[in-house]
Amino acid sequence: MKKMFFVIVLFAGMAGVTFAQVGVKKKRVPPYEFGKVTINNYSEKVGLKPVQFDHWVHRSKYTCRLCHMDIGFSMKAGETQLKAADNMRGYFCGTCHNGKMVYGDRVVFKACSKEFTKEEVKRCERCHLSAPNPKKEAEFEKFAEKMPKERYGNGINWEQAEVLGLIKPIDFIEGVSIKKAPLATQKDFALTSKIEGIPDIIFSHKKHTIWNGCEVCHPEIFIGMKKGADKYTMVDLFQGKYCGVCHDTVAFPQTDCQRCHTKPV
Amino acid sequence: MRLTIVVMMWGLLFCLSSASASEFFDLPPLPPAEEYGNILINRTSTKNGVKPATFSHWQHRIKYTCRVCHSELEFNMKVNTTEITEFANRKGKYCGACHNGKTAFRHNGNCDKCHNGDITYGKQKFDIFSKLPFARTSYGDGINWVESLKLGVISPAHYVKTKSQDLPFDKMLILDSEMNIIPPSIFPHKAHTAWLDCDSCHPDVFNIKKKTTKFFSMSYILKGQFCGVCHINVAFPMNDCKRCHPGIKE
Repeated sequence: MKKMFFVIVLFAGMAGVTFAQVGVKKKRVPPYEFGKVTINNYSEKVGLKPVQFDHWVHRSKYTCRLCHMDIGFSMKAGETQLKAADNMRGYFCGTCHNGKMVYGDRVVFKACSKEFTKEEVKRCERCHLSAPNPKKEAEFEKFAEKMPKERYGNGINWEQAEVLGLIKPIDFIEGVSIKKAPLATQKDFALTSKIEGIPDIIFSHKKHTIWNGCEVCHPEIFIGMKKGADKYTMVDLFQGKYCGVCHDTVAFPQTDCQRCHTKPV
Repeated sequence: MRLTIVVMMWGLLFCLSSASASEFFDLPPLPPAEEYGNILINRTSTKNGVKPATFSHWQHRIKYTCRVCHSELEFNMKVNTTEITEFANRKGKYCGACHNGKTAFRHNGNCDKCHNGDITYGKQKFDIFSKLPFARTSYGDGINWVESLKLGVISPAHYVKTKSQDLPFDKMLILDSEMNIIPPSIFPHKAHTAWLDCDSCHPDVFNIKKKTTKFFSMSYILKGQFCGVCHINVAFPMNDCKRCHPGIKE
């Protein structure tokens, strides 16, 4: 009995300590780093640096759907568990990074190989990075300069960039993707806000399907069979569920309230 | 059994200790009004052989809302955590978004205007507040910024480059105090959204979970958490009890 009380008091104290760490503003990720994923399932175990994957480079050229559906990358960092051997066989990164595929006037560099010369180590270091690469950062700055601005995330309004034709994301790779008849997109609709005074969300399927098709979100993230089938609040979203799967990590962060809550009250 | 009671009492004391301290709050000493909200930025300055950069919140607040720097221009809320560099500034980021020779003084030839290590720098400009009909308070920088904005004495900008849409939200929260004798505190969203964006506070500083408001105790606030992120160093200080707890009698 005594012990139980002591444990309760101790827990109350500990709860206080854990809570003491919140209530402050987190440091913001710089635009260049937003959407960066560190992949380290096997790298360090075999003496290589972890892979630093930049979403921005890829999304300026390809749709999200292409990698996350056709090629089969998981939506969660580190969950794909890909190995160098997979890349060498032409899966995952190796689908494009095979030293043969051409993008524009450039050949996409080859990802992993069993044997390599000393000079070729540089190629490994394009992905297996130890320190932030100032060259990559400069590349980002150069790219971002021409893009429509946004206040959060990469500081780039990707949606606008696509609408304006500044980027033309590729959605099909021969031999990997399947040609499908496009589905008619639903009209924009409103998601009612639960709190009085907060504008409703105008959700646009059209804006999402350009990048994601149907299959990135349905049925795993949103069952989406019937309107109102998924119940969620901002608390869930901020925890990385529903919209939070992409928005905060790669797509514009959810802290940009007014990007979604647009319906005038 | 006696031990149980002792442990329970100790637990109770532990819970109350933060509350009872409210009578004798250890509030940080207030600097002179013209220095309130001034900071010295020294992340790498001294290491690189230059004096720390002085920054005055009140000088900037007259012309810009908090969201301009803390949302649009990506300044963190804690000093020395933002990677402000001369290179970034010259490229039009951070300070350089305005300090480019067009909106405000530029870098070249003006090093000493910021890198002077003098936290009192620019105090002679403080008399602007006596020249214009600013609303006053007795604490902090002595300016009632919320009231002054309402009166139209100032009309600080909402953005500098990237336009944002304001999200007016007018919910008044009434938060019960830890102690019975202290009247509840109020939280007007509107007074805050005039300066800030939702993301300035949510979900980092205040997570939006229901029933978590009961944790916003003075002991945490005094440590710079919750309201204390701003209301110790820039926004009106907590010496001004009545502003949040309007029921307190003098």
